[in-house]
Amino acid sequence: MKVLASYSIKGGVGKTTAAANLARLAAGEGRRVLLWDLDPQGGATYLFRVRPKVKGGGEALVRRRRELVDVVKASDFDNLDLLPSDFSYRHLDLVFDGQNKPTRRLGRLLKDLSEEYDVVVLDCAPSVSLVSENIVRAADLLLVPLLPSPLSVRTLNQLEGFIANVKGKSPGVLAFLSMVDRRRKLHRDLVEELPRRHPGLARSVIPVASAVEQMGVRRAPLVEWAPGSDAARAFGELWQEAVNRW
Amino acid sequence: MTRDLTVDDHDVDVPLDAIVTTLSARAEPRQRTQRTWYDTFDWRLHRAGLLLEHQVRADHGWLALSELSGRRIVRVPTGETGETGETGTISVETLPEGAIRERVTALTGIRALLPRTSVEGPVTMLAALDREEKTVARVAVEGPLVVDGGGPLPVRLRVEALRGYDKEARRVVRKLAAVPGLRSAEEPLFGAACHARGLRPGEYRSKPEARFEPATSAGDALAVLLGELLEIMRENVDGTLRQLDTEFLHDLRVAVRRSRSAMKAAKGVFDEEERTAYAAELKWMGDVTTPGRDLDVYLLGFDQMVARATDPEALEPFRKLLTRNCRKAHTALNRALRSKRFARLADGWSSELARQDLPGPEAGTPIARFADARLSNSWRRVRKRGTAITETSPAEALHDLRKRCKDLRYLLEFFGSLYDETAHREVVRELKRLQDNLGAFQDAESQRYMVLQYAEELAATSAPARTLLAMGRLEAHLERRQEAARAEFADRWSRFDRGRNRRLFNSMVAAR
Ligand SMILES: Nc1ncnc2c1ncn2[C@@H]1O[C@H](COP(=O)(O)OP(=O)(O)O)[C@@H](O)[C@H]1O
Ligand SMILES: [Mg+2]
Repeated sequence: MKVLASYSIKGGVGKTTAAANLARLAAGEGRRVLLWDLDPQGGATYLFRVRPKVKGGGEALVRRRRELVDVVKASDFDNLDLLPSDFSYRHLDLVFDGQNKPTRRLGRLLKDLSEEYDVVVLDCAPSVSLVSENIVRAADLLLVPLLPSPLSVRTLNQLEGFIANVKGKSPGVLAFLSMVDRRRKLHRDLVEELPRRHPGLARSVIPVASAVEQMGVRRAPLVEWAPGSDAARAFGELWQEAVNRW
Repeated sequence: MTRDLTVDDHDVDVPLDAIVTTLSARAEPRQRTQRTWYDTFDWRLHRAGLLLEHQVRADHGWLALSELSGRRIVRVPTGETGETGETGTISVETLPEGAIRERVTALTGIRALLPRTSVEGPVTMLAALDREEKTVARVAVEGPLVVDGGGPLPVRLRVEALRGYDKEARRVVRKLAAVPGLRSAEEPLFGAACHARGLRPGEYRSKPEARFEPATSAGDALAVLLGELLEIMRENVDGTLRQLDTEFLHDLRVAVRRSRSAMKAAKGVFDEEERTAYAAELKWMGDVTTPGRDLDVYLLGFDQMVARATDPEALEPFRKLLTRNCRKAHTALNRALRSKRFARLADGWSSELARQDLPGPEAGTPIARFADARLSNSWRRVRKRGTAITETSPAEALHDLRKRCKDLRYLLEFFGSLYDETAHREVVRELKRLQDNLGAFQDAESQRYMVLQYAEELAATSAPARTLLAMGRLEAHLERRQEAARAEFADRWSRFDRGRNRRLFNSMVAAR
């Protein structure tokens, strides 16, 4: 079982969009996939039309009063299940903090699923916190969307610094440019320049596209209903890079 | 959870529109579907609680693995035709990588996945939706379906529950059960499709299963036993002819060997002339199946053997020759299996051998007394042969003992139902320990012989020296294995022949 986390310190950068589409692509290849919406805002849960509710909240899961598989919901797509968001996830930091080995709780929980799933995709809330440390320790690969801005290099460096400080084996990092508008010179320049300054950067670039925004209206991953679109193809390439990277 | 509902009558139309409305479901257009279930000949998937199915709907194909309960584990898109080879089987190499391959190949081992049953017909997929228009259950309205090689199946509605939405699925089932004309199906589609063509999932035997009452006459009991063995032979003929996997020939051969043992034990039970005639025919069957099986075994173990060799590539000409000869051996075997002689052997059995008007003098003996006598006799023979073996005895002496052990083992199996289970199991276990040693010795011996024979053949075709040298090393390796088995024999024998085992055997026979 591989754990892939869509992660960033920032919000609104394309984490949920990437998580939903990559999860759907993985499932389409016949992998058994679980997408866990860890964000109390429940963006991914909404996209899959599932009720954002976990009985007993995050605490019941972390304290193992309830098994993860018992709160899983099948999505409308083959091989793809969802572990829904719950508003209580906003206190997940506190719940983890009350446990021993608090930075390893998430990894331990995910171990229970290793027979059931081939891939777990974590859709994370934007933050640097105990939850983030858990995610870093549990993940095999962090998928990091970067907005095309001169600041994004610094964001990435900060993130790598954070990962290096977390104990245990570090996950791989696959950062990619998100919402790139090729009509803008700045974006074009950054697409040229950033890979040189950051050789580990994904070669796939996700274009800004109104189709992606439509996902919120259609409430289904883009790769499902517009598989031929530029953005869907870009997600396909990104998924291939992710597979090659772990 | 999956629940199937069906209509009572083949002609009844399902009120699809009404169903769509009550379930507030979304219906996909009606399409044609074909579903084929795969399993090994001995139902390894089914026995592990799994179903592997190739589905084609319109122009899409999937391979789906699910639990017998219907819960789907994974479904992978495939081509429309499925990934089957020329024999219609699925092999490990053609299975898509991932969960299916992992789960399935761990169970199937060397057995091929064969299409066991398949159905074809129209299907309409319904999705029951909640207020967010999320699918909470699926209903496949399928049929009437045509079962390949069987009768038709009436329309059925299969409710597929989705993980985390069991309550909703139950509600759907309740609503459907209330529709006039619909009732709960007796079994899921797979079971119904099997039954429609007279196939019983999970039913497989490689050895006779008949249990005997002590008072049954030896004539009747042996006729049943030999009849069952003949059926096992017959069941494995088709797979052997088509070389679906190597186990068919293996099972066929073992059934022949068991029959020969049974026929030998049956002396005095049947008309002697008939009995010896059948014994000769069975020996012929044994002989014609030997080369094919030997070469199958050799090729199955070849990669493993070569992996230990110092110069694996040098052995390629050897493998090529083996492969060619294996093909030839199977061609010859197939000719024998299609011959009149084999047909006569297979058909004449019950009508000639067990004829009531020509019984032998022991036909009326109760089977229990008969078994006691035959087992004791066989046990004595094993002891006599085994005790006579010394360090200087030739390989034939061990070979001979091995055959006597096999006879004893088969008799123990045939008549196991007449004896105390614990004692019987223990005797078999002790005997098996000895047989394993003799088997290792004999296998190494016959493989060495084969290497020598093939080396000569290859030398005559001016094979490279490298190949012959590599075969020489192989032969030396087999010789060491054989010597190791030989060195261990004395210990194994004295363990088998100890007083405890003799008492165990005597008490097993006496206690009955
Ligand atoms: N490539 C894109 N093109 C256009 N809009 C995008 C793109 N990626 C994301 N968006 C939009 O940006 C918003 C934030 O995206 P989201 O994936 O939810 O980010 P995050 O999970 O990082 O907060 C959403 O409204 C989404 O539709
Ligand atoms: Mg998000």
